[in-house]
Amino acid sequence: MFRSPRPVSMLGRAPRPLLLGALAVAGLAVLPLAYLVIRALEADPGSLDLVLRPRTAVVAASTVGLALLVGAGTIALGVPLAWLTTRSDLPGRRAWAVLTVVPLAIPSYVTGFAFLATFGPRGALQGLLAPLGVERIPSFGGLFGATLVLVLVSYPDVVLATRAALARTDPAVEDAARLLGDRRSVVFRRITLPILAPAIAAGALLAVLYALSDFGAVSLLQFDSFSRAIYVQYRASFDRSLAAILSLMLVGMTFAVAWGESRVRSRASAFAGTARTSRRPPSTVPLGRWTWPAFAFCVAVVGLALVVPAGTIGWWLIRGIGQGEPVRVVVDAALNSFLAGGGAALTAVMLALPVALLVARYPSPVASFLETAAFTGYALPGIVIALAVVFLSTSAVPVLYQTLVLLVFAYAVRFMPQAIGTVRAAAVSVGPRVEEAGRTLGDGPVRAFVRLTLPLLRPALVAGGALVFLTTVKELPMALLLGPIGFDTLATEIWDAAAEGFYARAAGPAALLLVLSAATVAVLLRNEETTR
Amino acid sequence: MSTPAVRLHGLTRRYGSVAAVDELDLEVLPGEMLTVLGPSGCGKTTMLRLIAGLETPDAGVVEIGGRRVAGSGVAVPPERRRVGMVFQDFALFPHLSVHDNVGYGLRRDPDREVRVGELLELIDLADAAGRMPHQLSGGMQQRVALARALAPRPDVVLLDEPFSNLDAALRTQLRADVREILRAAGTAAIFVTHDQDEALTLGDRMAVMVGGRIVQVAPPEVVYGEPASPFVATFVGIANLVPADRRGGRAATRLGVVRVVGPPDARTDGRALAVIRPEHFDVIEAPDGPADTGSWRVLRRRFAGTEILYEVTDSHDQRLWVEAGAGVRRLRVGDSVHLSLRDVETVAFPSGHHADVATTLPAEAPARS
Repeated sequence: MFRSPRPVSMLGRAPRPLLLGALAVAGLAVLPLAYLVIRALEADPGSLDLVLRPRTAVVAASTVGLALLVGAGTIALGVPLAWLTTRSDLPGRRAWAVLTVVPLAIPSYVTGFAFLATFGPRGALQGLLAPLGVERIPSFGGLFGATLVLVLVSYPDVVLATRAALARTDPAVEDAARLLGDRRSVVFRRITLPILAPAIAAGALLAVLYALSDFGAVSLLQFDSFSRAIYVQYRASFDRSLAAILSLMLVGMTFAVAWGESRVRSRASAFAGTARTSRRPPSTVPLGRWTWPAFAFCVAVVGLALVVPAGTIGWWLIRGIGQGEPVRVVVDAALNSFLAGGGAALTAVMLALPVALLVARYPSPVASFLETAAFTGYALPGIVIALAVVFLSTSAVPVLYQTLVLLVFAYAVRFMPQAIGTVRAAAVSVGPRVEEAGRTLGDGPVRAFVRLTLPLLRPALVAGGALVFLTTVKELPMALLLGPIGFDTLATEIWDAAAEGFYARAAGPAALLLVLSAATVAVLLRNEETTR
Repeated sequence: MSTPAVRLHGLTRRYGSVAAVDELDLEVLPGEMLTVLGPSGCGKTTMLRLIAGLETPDAGVVEIGGRRVAGSGVAVPPERRRVGMVFQDFALFPHLSVHDNVGYGLRRDPDREVRVGELLELIDLADAAGRMPHQLSGGMQQRVALARALAPRPDVVLLDEPFSNLDAALRTQLRADVREILRAAGTAAIFVTHDQDEALTLGDRMAVMVGGRIVQVAPPEVVYGEPASPFVATFVGIANLVPADRRGGRAATRLGVVRVVGPPDARTDGRALAVIRPEHFDVIEAPDGPADTGSWRVLRRRFAGTEILYEVTDSHDQRLWVEAGAGVRRLRVGDSVHLSLRDVETVAFPSGHHADVATTLPAEAPARS
């Protein structure tokens, strides 16, 4: 009685234009990947030997190793933080609940840059130690550096997923286990952790997906994972088929992770399905003598993930202003970023609308399939999409190569899933009744949609667009590969300057991105509030 | 007399300045099913959580099976109280199968498999042993929750409004099932509810709770027939509180004379409120025409499943709920009727017994669900 009946296919009732629109969007979304496959198949057999050389195996092993370490690290930080900020009497719990999530929105290359600029060869630390005669400090980077930075920007995924699962779980379940004879610590092991496990796994897999896709941190810290190898191959070689083949290997990994993530996520929601109304709020667990160690743990994590980046950027910003770094550069880059981001947001929302409406209004296997296709970009690393779009445009539409149109298209493919998620949820809650009422009052189907449904969806469209905008502004590899000549964005400015050690120059755009990141987190946390 | 399964004495739990449970005394006998009826927020759930050890009392004593588990320096943690609990949302372990849910509390029991098998038979879910909680219907989840609570053979099972999230038809069926299962297990049970039908039909005894206190504990028919206070009279079933003049074992009202339960003495004589139930009246249709002085006019009707209740009023705007027997044709709003009081035995409270009863008649009869 609590399971919804098997969905009846509503596809036959879907208006033809809506169906065609969704079909076109799904086609656009898979186009880059499809072309990448074609391109890789065209590779001459000789380059296949290149793929099989030991070097490729090393890159693959490095990538997998990085992904595993990041997954483990995010669990180690995320699960305790989620529990501490929801169930314990940690001093300042509410503030920590926000602070521990903020690093989520900081781009990896900003945190990477901050660590380089602090602990790197010509960083702030060395500068401070120089009067003491310290000429060199160990370089920051490689597997350790990349892991640290990626864990620090993605552990909030685990915090958010775990917190959501904790909030969904009826506290009476833990009470029941105690009444059946288990101590609190045993209950945590036998009940709480197993119930949270799928959510924790989903959060960690999200972090792993991020690590696999990441270009900014690994390239700045010179760690050879697939992303960096693809970029180097693309820049250095005439035979770009090899880059295409490497890309496909990476895509194989990201798709596997994304598939695993969706599997565990559905398991997590099945677990949450049993509890319903009339819950008591969970009781707060006193930390006792663990209070201050727990507090120190929070200080350490937030210190590394938030204070180090913000502090470093602030420090170099002040130095940069002292040295007379031109403000114009920042303003130009910001305008370019906003232009690309605005275009991407608008495009993504328009593309998302038919898919979201089809899935919400006319659920059917075909609709789900089209939605899955439209979500392709979710599992495609930016560097891969960029590469595919380069291939696509040079051979099919050379006119568009190195134009803003192409960049905006690539962004829309990559980030459209965010907009679909938001709009679909709203479309489900608005429902078809309002529009039907409009029809009975004399409106045609289009007019009823425009007069009634569209205004009701507006908040979701704006929210989805805002999310795409904020994500796009921070995006690096696509801007790097697809941006028109001389089109520098905040992201590329930071990356260029940081890669060459001009930390002061990178500080201006980085500071601006930090502010935008805070805005992103505000949006995300509001979502967390409303889902409770 | 044997040791009570549960004994509460002076039990108090305050939230800020509000006492959710206020110097409460209660005893539950071994094997007995005690229902606790009270309005929402009267402290029923808090009382159960104090017994279970999920809350700590500010004062008072909890004894389970003669053993002190809370109060005067003792605080036995919930896992060592031998108390079973069935939660409002069932609180099944979502990651464990039906079998493992039921067997959860039997970790150290060598006969675990046998016991789980027994219980699955008892709740008639042996076929569903391998299913996961989210694959079960609400009624099945309810039975699993009960079996899980019974598995470790607790001294007492606490049921916290266990049917409130189920639909009406299922509730009636489960009520019978649960009673059967608990009888078979022979375990004492405290069953908390705000549904008076549940409390009346399920309990060997029922307790009425209000404002954190138990105001009456007795077999259900006694609570209904001899309510301890005007509040209980109007809370359990529908009651008209009619001003009366009491002399010894009789009370005279303007509707007639009733016999009064309980030993009369000089102090009880005088002005009183008699509890007159709707079924205490014979309703006679009045001839059409101008209302005469003794007639009552039908204000509204309410169909309560098997009988029809009417609210009637007279020229002084006095209001009563009455039940019309099968012999009376369906009355319509506005019809005139005559009432005659049967020769019944009921209770009468000295007037001013409870200052909180402002009107003599209930403005709104409590709904029977």
